Amino acid sequence: MIDTVQRSASRLPVVVAVGMTPFAAHHADKNARDLTTDAVLACMQDAGLENLNQVEHGITSYESDHFNRQMTMGAILHDQVGMIPKPNLRVEGGGATGALALRTARAYLLSGMCDSVLVYGCELNGRSVSSQTANQLFALSADVDWEVMLGGTYTGFYAAMMRAHMEQYGTKAEQFAHVAVRNRRNAARNPLAQKPLELTIDEVLNSRMIADPYRLLDCSLLSDGAAAILLSTRDWAEAHSERFAQRPPIHFSASGCGTDTMRLGDRFPNITNFAAKKYAAEKAYEQLGITEPKRAIDLAECYDSYSGAELQSMEDLGFAKRGQGGPAIAAGEFDADGILPVNPSGGLLGRGAPVGATGIAQAIEICLQLWGEAGERQVYGAQRGLTDTHAGIGSICVVNVWEQRD
Amino acid sequence: MLYGKSIKTLIDHERNRLPEEHPWSDFIEQITVSFALQQEYRHSLGRYSRFFCELANGRFFATRCPKCDRVYAPPRTLCLDCQSIPDWVELSGKGTVKTFSVLHFNAGIGADVKSIHGPIFLVYVLLDGGHTLFPHLLRCAAERLAIGLRVKPQYVSGPVSHPLHLMYFVPEDEVL
Repeated sequence: MIDTVQRSASRLPVVVAVGMTPFAAHHADKNARDLTTDAVLACMQDAGLENLNQVEHGITSYESDHFNRQMTMGAILHDQVGMIPKPNLRVEGGGATGALALRTARAYLLSGMCDSVLVYGCELNGRSVSSQTANQLFALSADVDWEVMLGGTYTGFYAAMMRAHMEQYGTKAEQFAHVAVRNRRNAARNPLAQKPLELTIDEVLNSRMIADPYRLLDCSLLSDGAAAILLSTRDWAEAHSERFAQRPPIHFSASGCGTDTMRLGDRFPNITNFAAKKYAAEKAYEQLGITEPKRAIDLAECYDSYSGAELQSMEDLGFAKRGQGGPAIAAGEFDADGILPVNPSGGLLGRGAPVGATGIAQAIEICLQLWGEAGERQVYGAQRGLTDTHAGIGSICVVNVWEQRD
Repeated sequence: MLYGKSIKTLIDHERNRLPEEHPWSDFIEQITVSFALQQEYRHSLGRYSRFFCELANGRFFATRCPKCDRVYAPPRTLCLDCQSIPDWVELSGKGTVKTFSVLHFNAGIGADVKSIHGPIFLVYVLLDGGHTLFPHLLRCAAERLAIGLRVKPQYVSGPVSHPLHLMYFVPEDEVL
């Protein structure tokens, strides 16, 4: 693959500014347009921009037409925030939507098509529909004729994958329960998080069984929320945002993407892990010459849609050896005070997961950490952060790397 | 929900929360409305259809790539590895459970599953002669469910809402 980063170093995207709303089960007083407005205004304020007139492109990140009971939300939200007549693209990639939108913006900037892109994402996965309806709508993103008709939903598919991991590697429920405890504890230090909780491993292990081996507290949240990031070339940032020069510059320095089969069974015998995530991570690491990711990455926001999914991801991202994710997690290696803090924001389990905004919120957390603006949850000395998202049970995986460098 | 002369809003709650100088303090009335959609889809099972036709005959079919010999169940209609058009091949339908989950909730999608009461055993079966895992429901005593369990298909004469339910798995040694 051509190393676009080296070929066009001056076009390597930087983060101009970020903004997001609190994530919550329900924003009774706001709809998708209001939430997106708030995230974009927060981003403009962060950049010190009075308006969006100089921003050249908008990318809308949202997953579900069903949840929002509205199609063409890309155009509607673009219209709402006043970006017409600038070009717009809606990006959808399941759970990877936000990260895929950022990756797309990166490609647009590297290509020279434009010098600035506002990426904004929103989702109403909270209480605008019943949880029964929510389950059905999410199930439609699985293979309807072969899996959904069996009563299978994503909780079940993730559970079957984790069961295989437990069988093959001896992984224990208390090891992934550690993730459920830690991420919700981390959320207590994030003022925008949906569900900060102080829990014990026993409380997780005694919560209601949903899909064996996953219990209620192993499962992430349904959320409403929005998030926005303004990306640009360094020249554009310096010319348009006074704020940019006041903080250490963050470069969107690498991005990898990988895919896998829709159905778990089609991956046999590789059913314990996210092969596409390993592929995506290796592509991103190659771009930066990273050979020891656990040492090279200072912090990561990972896709803990289920507690065990984070455990599996630690292995696929190269933060733990295959089959050793459980012991590494239980030893606290990825805790806030560990070797490589994972999900300091609280992750999907604690911060929340409005799908179109999730991947963007992950990147925002990394930026705040690299700028040294993460308050109580600051990871000191962080210079390189990674975001990890996936769709389905890893059918599309996107790994993005962000660096503070001059 | 119907609306007439008076509309209940969240205004009082919001007034308590927003200070006067808040940029949105003139936008505090909030109304929630209901919107129901009912959709019924009629879609083709396309090139998979033969699998379901054969289930009705009590026979289990998979597809096999003529070039790399990989056998797909559920059938794939294009080889994942070499883009060859596969052939149909009959399997016994017997196999081994490779992983599973016990679903303690019923998402209620499709009449066939909606009517099941109690936990659902979702199993992924490596069929004898197959190379992928076939997902389906297993009906057996809870204590028998385990990775490694040998299973066989039990064909159903119907009527069912989705032809996938013209079968389910039972333990191979179970006499019905």
